[in-house]
Amino acid sequence: MAARKQTYDVVVIGGGHNGLVNAAYLARAGKKVLVLERRHVLGGAACTEEVFPGFHFSVCSYVVSLLRPEIIRDLDLPRHGLEILPLDGTFTPMPNGNYLWRVNDHGKTHREIARHSKIDAEAYDEFGKAMQAMCRFVKPILSMVPPDPNTLSPRELMKLLFIGRRFQGLSSEDKYNQVQLMTMSAIDFLDQWFETDVLKATMSASGIIGTFLGVRSPGSAYVLLHHYMGEIDGAFRSWGFARGGTGAISNAIADAAREAGAEIRTQAPIAKILVKNGKVRGVVLADGDEIQADVISSSVDPRQTFVNLMEPGQLPGEFLEEVRRYKFRGSSGKVNLALDALPNFKCLSGAGPHLRGAISISPSVEYMERAYDDAKYGNFSRRPYVDMVIPTLTDPSVAPPGKHILSCFVQYAPYKLRPGLNWDDLKESFGNNVIDTIAEYAPNIKDIILHKQVLTPLDLEREWGLSEGNIFQGELSLEQLFFLRPVPGYARFRTPIRNLYLCGSATHPGGGIMGAPGRLAALEILKDIKGAA
Amino acid sequence: MPAARDVVIIGGGHNGLVTAFYLAKAGYKPLVLERRPQPGGAAITEEFHPGFRTSILAHTAGPLRADVVRDMRLETHGLKLISPHVAVASFSPDGRVLILYNDLKKSAEEIAKFSKKDAARYPEFRQSLAKVGEVIGKALALTPPDIDQPSKHDLWGMLQTGRSIRRLGKKDMYRLLRWGPMAVADLVSEYFDTELLRATLAARGIFGTFLGPWSAGSSLVLLIRAAADPHPAGLASFAEGGIGAITRAMAAAAEQAGAEIRAGVDVIEISVGNGVANGVVLSNGEEIHAQAIVSNADPKRTLLKLVDPVHLTPTFVAKLEHYRMPGSVAKVNLALSGLPNFLGIDGNIDALKGRIHIGPEIDYLERAFDESKYGNFSREPYLEIAIPSLTDPSLAPPNKHVMSICMQYAPFRLRDGDWESQRVALGDTVVRILARYAPNLPELILHHQIITPQDLEDVYGLTGGHIFHGELSLDQFFTMRPLLDWARYSTPIANLFLCGSGTHPGAGLTGGSGANAAREILKHLKSK
Repeated sequence: MAARKQTYDVVVIGGGHNGLVNAAYLARAGKKVLVLERRHVLGGAACTEEVFPGFHFSVCSYVVSLLRPEIIRDLDLPRHGLEILPLDGTFTPMPNGNYLWRVNDHGKTHREIARHSKIDAEAYDEFGKAMQAMCRFVKPILSMVPPDPNTLSPRELMKLLFIGRRFQGLSSEDKYNQVQLMTMSAIDFLDQWFETDVLKATMSASGIIGTFLGVRSPGSAYVLLHHYMGEIDGAFRSWGFARGGTGAISNAIADAAREAGAEIRTQAPIAKILVKNGKVRGVVLADGDEIQADVISSSVDPRQTFVNLMEPGQLPGEFLEEVRRYKFRGSSGKVNLALDALPNFKCLSGAGPHLRGAISISPSVEYMERAYDDAKYGNFSRRPYVDMVIPTLTDPSVAPPGKHILSCFVQYAPYKLRPGLNWDDLKESFGNNVIDTIAEYAPNIKDIILHKQVLTPLDLEREWGLSEGNIFQGELSLEQLFFLRPVPGYARFRTPIRNLYLCGSATHPGGGIMGAPGRLAALEILKDIKGAA
Repeated sequence: MPAARDVVIIGGGHNGLVTAFYLAKAGYKPLVLERRPQPGGAAITEEFHPGFRTSILAHTAGPLRADVVRDMRLETHGLKLISPHVAVASFSPDGRVLILYNDLKKSAEEIAKFSKKDAARYPEFRQSLAKVGEVIGKALALTPPDIDQPSKHDLWGMLQTGRSIRRLGKKDMYRLLRWGPMAVADLVSEYFDTELLRATLAARGIFGTFLGPWSAGSSLVLLIRAAADPHPAGLASFAEGGIGAITRAMAAAAEQAGAEIRAGVDVIEISVGNGVANGVVLSNGEEIHAQAIVSNADPKRTLLKLVDPVHLTPTFVAKLEHYRMPGSVAKVNLALSGLPNFLGIDGNIDALKGRIHIGPEIDYLERAFDESKYGNFSREPYLEIAIPSLTDPSLAPPNKHVMSICMQYAPFRLRDGDWESQRVALGDTVVRILARYAPNLPELILHHQIITPQDLEDVYGLTGGHIFHGELSLDQFFTMRPLLDWARYSTPIANLFLCGSGTHPGAGLTGGSGANAAREILKHLKSK
């Protein structure tokens, strides 16, 4: 059959959650939309796969909290099958036989922290309130197209003024906290509130997830806030599972998109983006099919979009240089285990409710910092930070009866290893090292593993197209946020090529299963289409 | 009846002297009270071994802000600045040396020996640094605006800064925004491939701080320094007679303008009545009343030690306690019987006349930092060295030399033991490392003076041993130095002001804090 001629208003590259959100909003506005996904499953890094018979792994991303409520509402995701089950608490085992177990129940957590420090128990409440105030301040910024500080357009200046005014409106206490959060390290920030080492270590962990920062690196306090911003059912800071695994979120969004008229194809890798006279014309698929489109919206990262899918001469040299400068530096890996039984922790044995939340291997600030030190010189952490969940305790449907899944997020696993090492050789020892680490706290782990899946940063790049294995499509560091994300001057979802847009996590406000980039990009695309008409 | 003055200045460091000068020039009669036998703070020259004098602490100037030098007419008060042609010589263990001159072209030629590409990019880097630095320099001379109620003056200053940011053009404006929060290792790697060059430039982003080159925000430190001096690695800015000559000239200028300086008097308390500072109490019991008290001591020492905290709100006290002052520098001064024989310079003594940098790789510097995070001093430290007797023979007997070494990282808080027990080990480490580059050094040592971070606190009054009176970081910069809302040189106690490096802009021997503070204090005094 000769190459079919196919024409769409918009082609969305990549069927990750942002690509799907983007498509859904565009389709709802009446556009003829086609989503092209390279893999056989939708969702990008938000996917569920039956890796071993009967075991449905949330292969990459494993918990959700950041998904924007307006998206859940607009796309009516619960009707499309989205159900979020609460993940209660964080359990941190310690090598000395003690532990720290925080839960959503306020009184319980208060008593638990008081076991370590009475002062901290009091401070914890205050801290929670302060963080809520900070989140309230930052949230409108998440739903805002970043202003361009380089223009004199009154509309852009109004945005800056708006942020300025909101800042002015904060109490002096909140101003102080806000400024600190934007500039400090997670540990310096937490040091001001708490004295318990294990508490600070565990809380600081959310400041480094997905970045190449240590808990003492300035800028990590912001990432802490980024993770605090989670919102499920309107309550701040609650994390949850999607019933059926993380892929269920993507599937619900895909369903909403299809209902609105979008077409979605899987196993449809793109070879290149077609550009003529500085304007996109369409895409060519790997199988040679050509698809014409007025607009291309790319949910893959800038390196994939501008370097791998385009010809070098099509973009201004300076822009390409900035794209090359954009930092990915993946720092994490994933180990997914199929278990015959539940792990038994030395410090708190039995299959108690402490296993139903997150289990964090983050026993001390020094432990976290040393894990980072290894990575700085191109080694995986000898003793990594591990964030684990056992989704089967909340949603038994994802494994055979009586069996369990242990999903382990591991940091640090630097994409760039020191000379002489490569990830394919290290994969096995990386996985074993994680299991050894867990075994120090739950010795039975080695006896109950039925299957294991190890994902290195190189796997994340090869299989999911995440450059350098960065789970946020680029580091969440201050110089890569807001109007600097991903490229200064191009933070508004537009690119130097007319009608080519970015809509993935590499754009404001960044990564996590948030959907905000996909939505904001769709609104900008619609604005431009309207303006052109 | 105790004596009454219009202004008392606590501490005769360089900023205290600058403030004293400007206040005296405006017709006030400030009294400067210095605890040590001579004014100068951390900018002093002393004899540390018979016949050997050196800059005991700081060994290069910031350099000084041009308007301060001009207004105080420091040259007429005997100051002769020395600027050797070599800014810095950076040594590598493989025997190679990278020399950066003041002269751009000569530096590029030297860099070309390592990498032609880097040599070609060097002028561009210097130019961007100069342009961005100029804008930052303007902000450094500003009084940080009032966050809650910016005055017309504040808005004007902000507008001017905003305009100069715009005038940078798109490319440099984004550089300014993007660079500030970055790790200095990333910044230099964006321009250069040569590891020795990267490390030499990155050092400027970590000097005096508790940051490693991979710490985010270390670029900001580089930019603040570049505002005073756009040379990428920083010039060697010495003074005839050592750095103490700068503060001696400043003291003379202040006295000529009408200030009085008393050395050897220790202020032990700032007296406060009804929330208003009204005088100071000396260790000998003497009380001096004044309409305004200005402290050149660091913010913690001033407000947590000299002031009774009952006069402050608990929130303010808590915030100030969290003001970060983790000292990281130790100092070793050596009296030498001859000039050490540095490898790789082929007898080119001129190469040693500027600053000498030991820290050949980014990772070397980072590893040095790593140890200090866990409370140990670096076993392979980063060293910033000067041999001032090469450019000023008066500092040592004929053919003999003094060597001044800033050693990093020496964390104020050690994991095991105290600094007294580590003093000798620290000195040995520095000499051991230096002997790799100048093998005959150990046999030339006639005497060594080791100044630990604990000494910096005990002897020189730097809380936490922090040479900048507090970390230079985004969260302690501009409107946040020392604390958000208290960056305008006043304090919650009426008539008590700050003028030291713990206020904006801080950072090095520039006189910026003292000059800015004087401007605000004068406004206050005149409004009375």
